[in-house]
This record gives sequence, C-alpha cells and structure tokens, in this order.
Amino acid sequence: MTKSDTSTRLNELRMKHGRPPASPSEPKAERTETLREAQPRFRGLESGHRACQGCGEALAARLVMESAGPDVMVANATGCLEVFTTPWPQSAWRVPWIHSLFENSAAVASGMEAAMKAKGKNTKILSFGGDGATYDIGFQSLSGMLERHHNVLYVTYDNEAYMNTGIQRSSSTPHAATTTTSPAGKERMGKRHLKKDLLSIIAAHHIPYAAAASVAYPQDLQRKVRYAMGVEGPTFLVIHSPCPLGWRHDSALTIEVARRAVQCGLFPLVELERGALTNIMPIREPRPVADYLELQGRFAHLFNKDDYRAQEELDHLQALADHNIDIYGLRGDGVDPVDTTGMSHVKRGGPLMGER
Amino acid sequence: MTQITRGTWAEAGTSLDFKTGNWRSTQRPVHIHAKAPCHGACPAGEDQQAWFAELQMGHPESAWRSLVAANPLPGVTGRVCPHPCETACNRVQLDGALAIHNVERWLGDEAVLQGWDYPVTPPAKDAPVVAIVGAGPGGLSAAYHCVRLGLRAEIFEALPEAGGLLRSAIPPTRLPRTALDAELNRLLDLPGITLNLRQRLGRDISVEGLRERFAAVLLSPGCESPKPWSVKGAVPADLHEGLALLRDFMDHGALPDAAKGDVIVHGGGNTAMDICRIMKRAGAKSVTLITASGLPGPDTAPDDLINVVPRELEEAQEEGIEIIDHATVSRLIMKGSRVTGVEIIALRKERGKDGRKRRVEFEGTERVISVDMVVPCVGEQVAPEAFEGLLNGAYFWPDNLYGRIAPRTFSIGDARGNRGTVAAAIGDGRIAAEAVAAELAGEEDPVADARPEMAFDGLNTAYYAGAVRVPVAKLPVAERTFDAEIEGGIGRAEALAEAQRCLSCGNCLACDNCWTMCPDNAVIKTTELAMDGSHYVFDYDYCKGCGLCTEECPTGFIQSVPETS
Repeated sequence: MTKSDTSTRLNELRMKHGRPPASPSEPKAERTETLREAQPRFRGLESGHRACQGCGEALAARLVMESAGPDVMVANATGCLEVFTTPWPQSAWRVPWIHSLFENSAAVASGMEAAMKAKGKNTKILSFGGDGATYDIGFQSLSGMLERHHNVLYVTYDNEAYMNTGIQRSSSTPHAATTTTSPAGKERMGKRHLKKDLLSIIAAHHIPYAAAASVAYPQDLQRKVRYAMGVEGPTFLVIHSPCPLGWRHDSALTIEVARRAVQCGLFPLVELERGALTNIMPIREPRPVADYLELQGRFAHLFNKDDYRAQEELDHLQALADHNIDIYGLRGDGVDPVDTTGMSHVKRGGPLMGER
Repeated sequence: MTQITRGTWAEAGTSLDFKTGNWRSTQRPVHIHAKAPCHGACPAGEDQQAWFAELQMGHPESAWRSLVAANPLPGVTGRVCPHPCETACNRVQLDGALAIHNVERWLGDEAVLQGWDYPVTPPAKDAPVVAIVGAGPGGLSAAYHCVRLGLRAEIFEALPEAGGLLRSAIPPTRLPRTALDAELNRLLDLPGITLNLRQRLGRDISVEGLRERFAAVLLSPGCESPKPWSVKGAVPADLHEGLALLRDFMDHGALPDAAKGDVIVHGGGNTAMDICRIMKRAGAKSVTLITASGLPGPDTAPDDLINVVPRELEEAQEEGIEIIDHATVSRLIMKGSRVTGVEIIALRKERGKDGRKRRVEFEGTERVISVDMVVPCVGEQVAPEAFEGLLNGAYFWPDNLYGRIAPRTFSIGDARGNRGTVAAAIGDGRIAAEAVAAELAGEEDPVADARPEMAFDGLNTAYYAGAVRVPVAKLPVAERTFDAEIEGGIGRAEALAEAQRCLSCGNCLACDNCWTMCPDNAVIKTTELAMDGSHYVFDYDYCKGCGLCTEECPTGFIQSVPETS
C-alpha cells in the first residue's frame, strides 16, 4: 500500500464515519450527521466488533467507555476483549488503544500514565483485562501498579474462565463450575477450588477505590466508573460479565443471569475505599442460588437427581452465598430504591434511580 | 492480502465496515405494538395505555384528547362503567389493577372545568347528514364520531331531554346530574350536531321517512320494554317491573306501598342492583337479590360472574342487601292474586351433551321465603313499535361488527341484543359512524384492530417498581342519600401518580433498556420519534440477534421474530 493510497483510504474512512478532518487540507465530510453519530452518549466502543451474541463483556466495556470517555487511553491485555475488538485492519475503539501481553497491561498502563504526566496532560489511563489476565497472569504487574500508586483505572471483565482460548478454568472460576480443564464427571463435580477473593487482595493494597459491579445494573456500574474517574490514584473495578458460550446459557439471558448472581449473593456488589467497606448494594430478598445456577449449562451437573453429590455441591454454593451476605451485611432492611430490586426499576423516559 | 507494515495502525471505529448483522441466523428483534389488555377489554374502544402514557409525561390535556378520540363521555363512563379494563389489567397480578375509572373520571371532569376543546373540526355546510334515533350514550357517541369524520348529525329523541338511560335509569348516587349535564351539553354544542327533542319514532317520525330524508340512519333506541316475566305462567296482579320502577322513582320519587316490607329482586344486572339499593334506602324492611349468576370469587368462571359494577356490588352489601347467588325463583306463593312468598331453588350453569352451557335446577334445594313484593329485573328488549321488518325477534341482532341491518341503516347499543353497558353503546356509536363514513364515501368497511394482546407473561416485571393503587374516598353507609354521589373523586396529583403505575403493556416506555443493554450498539436512540412511534431503531447492519433486548424489554414491545433472509 503506497502512501497516497493510505491517505485516500483514511479520507474515505473519515468521510464515512464523520470524524473531523485531521488537518485543514483534508476534505470535510459532505453530509449531515448520521443517527449513529448523533447518539447522546460517547461511543468509545463501536459496533462491528466480533463478540459473540449476547456477550456480557462487550456490553460491560461499552458501558465503561461511555462513562469514562472521551479523554482516555486504554491498555488492553490479551483476551476476548482485545481479540474481538481489533481484527486487523479494523478497530472498534474510538480512543487511543494499546494491546499489551496477557501479563502486563497494568505495567503498560503505568508507563502510559507516566508519559502523560511527563507531557503535562490529564488524560486518564484505563487498563482492561479479563479474569485470566487479572486474577492469574497479570496479577503481579497489577499489584505493582497499585503499589506505585499510578493514576490508572483498572477494569477487569470477570467472565470466570479463559473464554478466548476455549473455556479453561481460571482462579476466578466459581466452585463446582464445569470448564474444559475442570470437567464435571466421575471424579469431580466441576472445579474443586474456590473463586479467588480478588477484591479483598486489591483492597489490601490500601488503594483509594475498589469496587464490584455487574452488567445487570448499568446505572450502578456507570456510577462506579464515574466515581473512579474522579479519583486521583489507582482504582479498581471488577465487573461480572456473563459469557453465554462459556457459561452455556441462552444469549438472551445475559442480564437475567447476571442479575440473579447479584440477587443470590454469589456476586456481591461492594465498594471499598482505602481497604474499608464503604458501600454495598443491599439485597431486598435473597434468591436461592439454584435460581442463578439453573440457567447455566456449566452448573447442569448440580441438577442431576441421580448424583448424590449434586445436592451437596448446591448446598455448598448456597453456603458460600450466605457467607457473602453475612460478611458484607448484604441483607436489605425493607424497601430501598437502590437495592438489588429497586435499582432495576424504570419509568417512562429512563431508569427510576441513578443518573443518565 | 493486506500487508501489515511497521508503524501502521487501525483507524478508530473502523469495525463499522464489518456488518455483524449477517450473523443473525434464527431471530431478529422488532417493535410490535401489541394491544394492552385494558384496550382489548374496553367496549368503548378506548386505548387506556395510550392516554396513560400522556399522563405519565404530565400532559393531562393530551391524555384527554387521546381518550375522547374513542369515547366522548369519560366523565360519564368513569362513573358508571363496570370497567372491564381494570379486570383485564396486567397489574392485577402484581399489586392491583390501575384505578382506570377514577383517572378517567378525573380527566372528564377536568376537561369540563378547564374547557378543553373536543378535537373536532366543524363539518362542511354541504356534508351528508346522518339521522340518529335516540340521544342515549350510543346515539350521542355516534353523532360525535360522525362529526369527527366530517359528517353532520341530526338526533331524534322521544323524551324532552337528551341522555337516554343515563338520565332515566342511573341513579344520581352513581352519576350526579351536574356531571352528566356538563359533559352532555359540551358534546351537543359541537358544530354539526342538531338535537330534535320530543320526536318519537312511530308517532312523529318513521324509519322509512328518515331513510328517505337522510344520507344514513343510525338506530339507538335502547331497550324500553321489560322482558316478559312469569314463574311457570304465574304473574302477580300488582307486578312492578324493575326498570319501570326505577324510572318512576327517578321521575317522582315514590315507590309502591308494598316496598316497605320484605322485597325480593330477581335478576343480576346493574338495574337490579340499583333498584335493590334504592328500595333499601327508601325504607324496605329487607331486600334480597336472587341471581342465577355467581358472586366474585377466586373460583368464579368469567361467564358465571354477576354482571354488575364490582364496587356497586360491594357498596350494596355494605348497605345490607342480601344476595342469594346461583338461585332462581321457582314458584310464586299467592294469596289471591297477591304474592306472599316465593320458593327459590339452587341452580348452576352446566355443560350439556352438545357442549353448550345451560341452567340446571337442582331438585331438593327448594326453600320458601315470605315476601311482600317481587321485582323482576331480568332485562329489557326493544319496544317493537316502529321497527317493523327490522327486528330479529326482540332485538336487531346485526350479523356484522358495524351493526349494519340494511344498507345505510345501522343499529347501536342495547338494541343490538348482546350489549348491556354504556361503554358498549359508545363503542357501537363509533364503529357505526366509521362504517357510515366509509359507506358514504364508497369505501370498504373499516378493518377491525387485529393486533395481538400483551399478556402478563410477555412483560419483564423486574423493571417495575411496586406501587399501591390510589385509595378513593367513599361515602359512609350512614350518610348515603338518594342524591349524593357515593364514590369520591381523585385530584390531579393522585391521577398523575396513578398513571405512573401503568405498565405500558405492549408499547414502548422509552426506558432506554434496549439502548443501554445492547452489547453490539445496534440500538440507536432517536431524538425525534421513530417511524413506529418509539424512540429507538434497530441497526440491523450490526444486530447479531442475541435476543437480549427482547428479554429485557419491560413491556414486551420488543419481540423476536424468525429471521427471514
């Protein structure tokens, strides 16, 4: 491709997507704004990405970009998000974006932040990774980034296994879930070990803000992003993002599955500042964990009536949920407009609670 | 093949070149305006969901305009209608139906108070004139809709005042005359409507004469003659039929002497209920209603339920009316030609050999009650005079939706044979007017609204906040008179708050869920209304057909349909 070819192509793309001309010599787009361009929100992550149908991670990343952008740069660890958003020569991102390795997105983000600081710019650096890149492989560089107190918002999209490479267990995979490397069968009922309590480890770094959010509660999620954006220093967000392929549920049920995870207590929505618990989303009426598990193929073996171990594991997961409710004090006290029930409510024109 | 050279990068947002819409293999989301069940159940054809949407946006006047597009008398129906809309309301399964009739009544009264103009334009001077027989709710509705459709209407009423049974048979405790007159007069003042009073069909005018003089004739004579009533051939000499008794009482406020004793009312409609309550209030020792239907309860089949306004039934029971359901009068016990007692027997509707239900009396359940008076209220039929050759038995029984019984001749309301509510008459008036307008313009009959109804299981209730129905004040039993309205009104704030309870079944709530939750950015929000009246459009270039928006749409407005190509 020659240089003139490239610039012609760039101009074509600019015409098409309505970007402002890069220089005065560049022709302006000779048309009015399309509906897509006129959306009343920042389109940091555009359509045309290759995420599966009903992808919770694509949804979560879009919601984060809406609230964080536009003055941001992204360091993205290897994983689904990186793969499905950037198939060469295209990109779904509309902000500066760098692909790092699996293990070093926090380190790359640290460097980006230092560079911005050196240039005297206030551009916020975001660092994205999946649970594999965060809980397991990139944990060391993440810890370093937090310890060095870089002004970076680290977001982990937690879909509870290595989905990109074919659903291998990670340290975030919940107990008893079946994956290709923790298959349910004669020997074991899915994953033997427990989900790593990453948020507590992060909070132990004494950082200004660490929180858990869920795609089932977009208003809550976006409030947490906005809050973190306003904090000077390292902040951390873990977002529960169902994966229809890996969790084996209907692609239409992504939100419902995520909502039940929160409502049963298995994925508590908590906020920690300087290591102390400062806010929780109360659960109005805790649902049984079975309500959450039954929607997902990865837990189907827990509903096998002929296997005596199934009930034991169901009870184990229920006990884990009850434990979360206990230690975080999640049980609501009556009706609260921002509890796990009230936070979903809408009225004509938008959400009942939360800002837009 | 694309060469990846050092130092190149992908341009921002270029993934838009890749149309993921071709991944859709099985389903695509579409906007489907389903009928809300209230709309489906409304005999007047009101779209309650549509006018509640206007109220939710804080626009009472637009709400009233939307309402009167179907029903010009909301102040009346808000008071007298048995509101099947509330029975059908999906919110019943959450925390109680919307108080639709209370809000409707408030809108009607507010329109009178504020002088909101009916959304009609004066018809042309040479517009065809439609003759309407009877100025009851059906005739008035027909006249109004004729004017809305650019025709002129001339009404012929036998009585000295318009209103039909709204005036002659509905007690002021349910429909105060000030409220009735206010709404009626505003309607009759509309340009293009002429009212001729004291014009009785058969005496002053004839159907044939009207058909010659006018472009079309709409017959809404109502039912004036009581259905013949006897018990195995026996009829008391001093028989007072319910509707006549009610009319007499409304005219000169007196009841026969026997009404001071023990009274049995036989029937199961609103007239029966009204007569029971008036007699009790006028000093009857006891009033007992004998009805073949059942009282409301969890096990009562819809076709077995007593056909009265539910709150009327409740109020009657408060006032001490005794009701014996699933029973009929099987024998009159006479002393000479005067009745001294009745024998009643239990019965039920049972399915027969042909699968059709009929009433079966159960032998051995007879019992005798001593009474001073028996009032039959088993319904009325069309007074047959002046309708030679048009009636099919006791009623018109038109064989089509529009009520057409001959070219350019239509029947409306109770006289059709299977109606029985003010709202149904109002609905008939509209449908007949629409059919007349089409017929006069040489067009086909208007098509019925065949949209599907949105059932409760089509909603996603996770998105609706709980809210209890607005409480409405009611006159205590001790303070009830013959004139004071029993059910209280609600105010603006209460009406607007109640409107927020509407689930918007089957129609867009503009809640942003689809726009917020689409993982593929394939839902586009529009600042202007989209073609289908919502604020969103699907970008099928990118929609992968995951079905998430369908699942998370609270109202069922988004539905997944099979992908065709």
